Amino acid sequence: MPVNLALGHVSTDFLIAALVIYSLSVVAFAGDFAFGRPRRAASAATGQQARQRAGALASVGAAAAAPAVPPAPSAPPASSPPSAPAAPSAPGSAAPDSMPEVAVPPLRAIRQAGGWVQTALALSAVGVVAHTVAVVTRGLAVHRAPWGNMYEFVTALTCVAAIFFLFVMIKYRAWALGVFVMGAVVVALGLAETLIYTAAGQLVPALQSYWLDIHVTAMTLATGIFFVAAVLGVVYLAADRSARRVAAGRAESGNGILRRLPSIEQIDRLTYRTVMFGFPVWTFGVIAGAIWADQAWGRYWGWDPVETWAFITWVLYAAFLHARATAGWRGRRAHYIQLLGFASLMFNILVVQVFIAGLHSYAGVS
Amino acid sequence: MLKSRRRVIALTATVCAGAALAVVLLTGWASGGNSGVTDVAGSNSAVLYSAGHRPVAPDFTATTLTGSRLDFSSYRGRVVVLNFWGSWCAPCRAEAPTLAVTAQQYRPDGVAFLGVDVRDDPASALAFTREFGVPYPSVSDSGSVITLDFTSVVPIAGTPTTLVIDRTGHIAGAVFGPATQQELTDILVQVMHS
Amino acid sequence: MTDVRAPEADPFESAAEPGEQGPRNRDPASGKLGLADWLKWGWRQLTSMRIALVLLFLLALGSVPGSILPQEGTDPGGVQQYFASHPALAPWLNHLGLFNVFAAPWFAAVYLLLFASLVGCVVPRTFRLAGSARTLPPRAPRHLTRLPRSAEYQTTLTPAVAAEVAATVLAGHGFRLRRPDGDGEYWVSAEKGYLREVGNLLFHLALLGVLVSVALGGLFGYKADRLLVQGTTFADTQSALDEWYPGRFVSAADLGPFTITLNRFDASYITSGAQRGQPSSFDAQISYTAHPGGPVRNDRLEVNRPLSVDGAKVYLIGHGYAPVFKVTDSRGQVVYDQATPFISGASGNFLSQGVVKVSGAQPEQLGFTGVFVPTAVMVGGVLESAFPAADNPVVSLLAYAGNLGLNDGVPQSVYQLNTAAMRQLTSAPQLLLPGQSLKLPDGQGTIAFTGYVPWASLTITHDPGQLPALICGLAALGGLLLSFMVRRRRVFVRARASGQGNGAPDEAHSTVQIGGLARTDASGGFEDEFASLAAELRSAHSQHEGE
Repeated sequence: MPVNLALGHVSTDFLIAALVIYSLSVVAFAGDFAFGRPRRAASAATGQQARQRAGALASVGAAAAAPAVPPAPSAPPASSPPSAPAAPSAPGSAAPDSMPEVAVPPLRAIRQAGGWVQTALALSAVGVVAHTVAVVTRGLAVHRAPWGNMYEFVTALTCVAAIFFLFVMIKYRAWALGVFVMGAVVVALGLAETLIYTAAGQLVPALQSYWLDIHVTAMTLATGIFFVAAVLGVVYLAADRSARRVAAGRAESGNGILRRLPSIEQIDRLTYRTVMFGFPVWTFGVIAGAIWADQAWGRYWGWDPVETWAFITWVLYAAFLHARATAGWRGRRAHYIQLLGFASLMFNILVVQVFIAGLHSYAGVS
Repeated sequence: MLKSRRRVIALTATVCAGAALAVVLLTGWASGGNSGVTDVAGSNSAVLYSAGHRPVAPDFTATTLTGSRLDFSSYRGRVVVLNFWGSWCAPCRAEAPTLAVTAQQYRPDGVAFLGVDVRDDPASALAFTREFGVPYPSVSDSGSVITLDFTSVVPIAGTPTTLVIDRTGHIAGAVFGPATQQELTDILVQVMHS
Repeated sequence: MTDVRAPEADPFESAAEPGEQGPRNRDPASGKLGLADWLKWGWRQLTSMRIALVLLFLLALGSVPGSILPQEGTDPGGVQQYFASHPALAPWLNHLGLFNVFAAPWFAAVYLLLFASLVGCVVPRTFRLAGSARTLPPRAPRHLTRLPRSAEYQTTLTPAVAAEVAATVLAGHGFRLRRPDGDGEYWVSAEKGYLREVGNLLFHLALLGVLVSVALGGLFGYKADRLLVQGTTFADTQSALDEWYPGRFVSAADLGPFTITLNRFDASYITSGAQRGQPSSFDAQISYTAHPGGPVRNDRLEVNRPLSVDGAKVYLIGHGYAPVFKVTDSRGQVVYDQATPFISGASGNFLSQGVVKVSGAQPEQLGFTGVFVPTAVMVGGVLESAFPAADNPVVSLLAYAGNLGLNDGVPQSVYQLNTAAMRQLTSAPQLLLPGQSLKLPDGQGTIAFTGYVPWASLTITHDPGQLPALICGLAALGGLLLSFMVRRRRVFVRARASGQGNGAPDEAHSTVQIGGLARTDASGGFEDEFASLAAELRSAHSQHEGE
């Protein structure tokens, strides 16, 4: 079937629109940073688990309403119930109840987060819609899954990253991370548009298989998720560095950015959970790729450069998951490993597929 | 279970698994001595099959290089030397004079020589036979179908290969590679007098 | 806030099994130690997480040169080129095994050590899992409010009834329970989530299974290549194959006795637009028999669509052009008449090169090196191909006469001409259109370019380890998902008489305490589960109050 060029142009237009809207949302997130409603400082209360029970009592139902009062916590990334709820009930009443918190519903949390966050979220949502339309119309234009060359792959994976991150941000109320992740999405999309843009076109025969839908889809999803994890890892390292400087007395405590961010442990946990989400998807993608390789080339694993780097990426993310269970390797070092894994992933996509000759050279970039 | 005992079991299990894997990976397999096959003296590529262990030579019908039809069954009752060759094959050029001479030498004894020309075209093949004065006919096997038939009974690995077939249509000897005068003579002597 | 330290001992375990701590690390630096101690120390190091991490790094690092440098297995020509262009560096790299990384002993050492570490870790944990699955959950601690998650409320039920109700609710959620042994206390201990460790172990063992499957394929499988010109047949026998790579335990007798004829090969290309020249489809029409004398079947081979026959799979890998040449020697005899496969290199649009060796020409042997250009255009005096389809086919030949070098009996490549003992007959390449002939000087003969046919290259493979590898891979994925999604957790419920009234055990007023903890709740969610369990227990107690 011939390629529908008009629809291809529509896709590109929607992509540019998404780019612009995302940029505006990044501005709004930054505005929240600078001017937004004050939130509880990162380290103090939420660092502790809900261990400190003494005196901290609240009745059922009251806790849910409590966060309406500033400086109430908007519930931090799902680690513990807010351990400093609003008003301790009067001591002296006989054995008052203590029930675990029910989390604030998302819409209310969004309302509590303030105008900047609401604007940013709205813009991000519209951007995601435009982005998704761009990806879908591209697929319709070429009558196949729209991840057949590097340009399509990058636009699709940033869409996955944006959707995934929006979900994560709303679930864990991690508004402060928005500026970083959406900013990275904007940069990636911008680079894709300018450097590796490829007009809608047909695929070489080797890619004309239903395995494209399975293998490359899985890789796209996994890469989008790892993209988010990588941004979070960078945020972690920056926050960690800041915290260490504060602890060493070389910087003032209560630095503006730190105050807005979730605590180090929460960012660490969030990153870990993101990688845990992406790792099985990546594993599945590698398996699907092996099945497809067997169909196309007669062997399921031949140490083709792209296969090798996908393996290296897998090993590095496995090392990250191991590192978190190893004393002395948690924290900073583990995140270095995770970022190394993402770097190898990017190297695979951007360098190996394009410059190193192998069976996998389908980047479509001339 | 005591922790130390468990560790011993774990260690043993690992060592056994490792040993099994190593054995599988590192040992070649015993070639399971083929009874009835003996090497021709002084050669590591020529073998003799003793009576009772000779595989049956498959029948075939083919076209000769000059275009006429040939039935292999017409050779039954004679000792046949079947040579797989090609004009593109360098070792075949080395053995061609030997085969020509041996063919002439054993013609009075009724031994027939027949060539099977593999992966070749008739023009090049005929040029080869002219160049080396090959005194016997060859059939065309560009698709290696005749070779496949024979490979199912004798392990033909490459070109050239020479088989010696006895009067009852069984393969009695083989040379896997370019044949020397000595090898051919040794085999023919055995076959003609068996 | 620096790196968070993970406690060496697992609080989840040590809370319940205090007697488990065996002798800890005996540092070999202190005291007199024998060989056995050193081995034990070495084994403990090997199976530690730290070494596993190091080995994982080494595995990743070791794979890098395997992807950057040309490798013997997949690109032997590239290796030769590398030697030619880096004459000083290449031998050193070769000594280190960097041109065949994935078969190198040091690479094997890394992954074998990794798997030894894996097995040494997994087997004890399997025993521990079996052990913990048999033992009951621990007794409920006295002060549940000290646990990471806890709740407390009042109920008008007696402690005994409250504990029973709690037990029923928890049992309904699939927890394994432990009840008090009648010492006047009222509590329930509940534990759940053993599948997590099962998943973890399954994942790691399945990886081992993948390794074994790969080894199986390498030992009992094979790979073979054959280039087939359109219109010709080939039978699957060793002497008919261009390349043959048997596994260690495989012999040529294991080849399936099938025969394939390439009836027709078609390739179509995009003719306009930005992707002009890109292939849009390939297909090979073949007929085949599974064994001699068997029925002839027709099939269509395409990329992504191999043929399954006799336990092997036949893949269409590549294609090209084979110009047909007819050579007549000085004596007027036709000494060569066949389609000669030419190979296209990296140069685009199927500009292909090949060689014609006419060993039967008299009095001198003839040789030709040629270039086949499917769609010929002259660009600045240089012959180039503008499109991969044969829209304007041209052949350019250089002729040689002399000795081809075949007489020493050493096999030669059919794609290379050894001109050491030959003299060039034509001073410049001669162009021929289909149907034209070139008359050689000195009456040496003529060569006619009579036409061209396509060829297809096939790969035949057999891999018995393929299906086991797939099953193990999917099992690994399943184990991974299980270990990520399931968490092992414990919930305790204690009911005490609340001291209002006379304090008798059957007092109809109790304080109910609930406590819970999860082991490595990395995926989160225990908080929500605990909250909803607490709410459910409370409402169950309220319901019973009403009765």
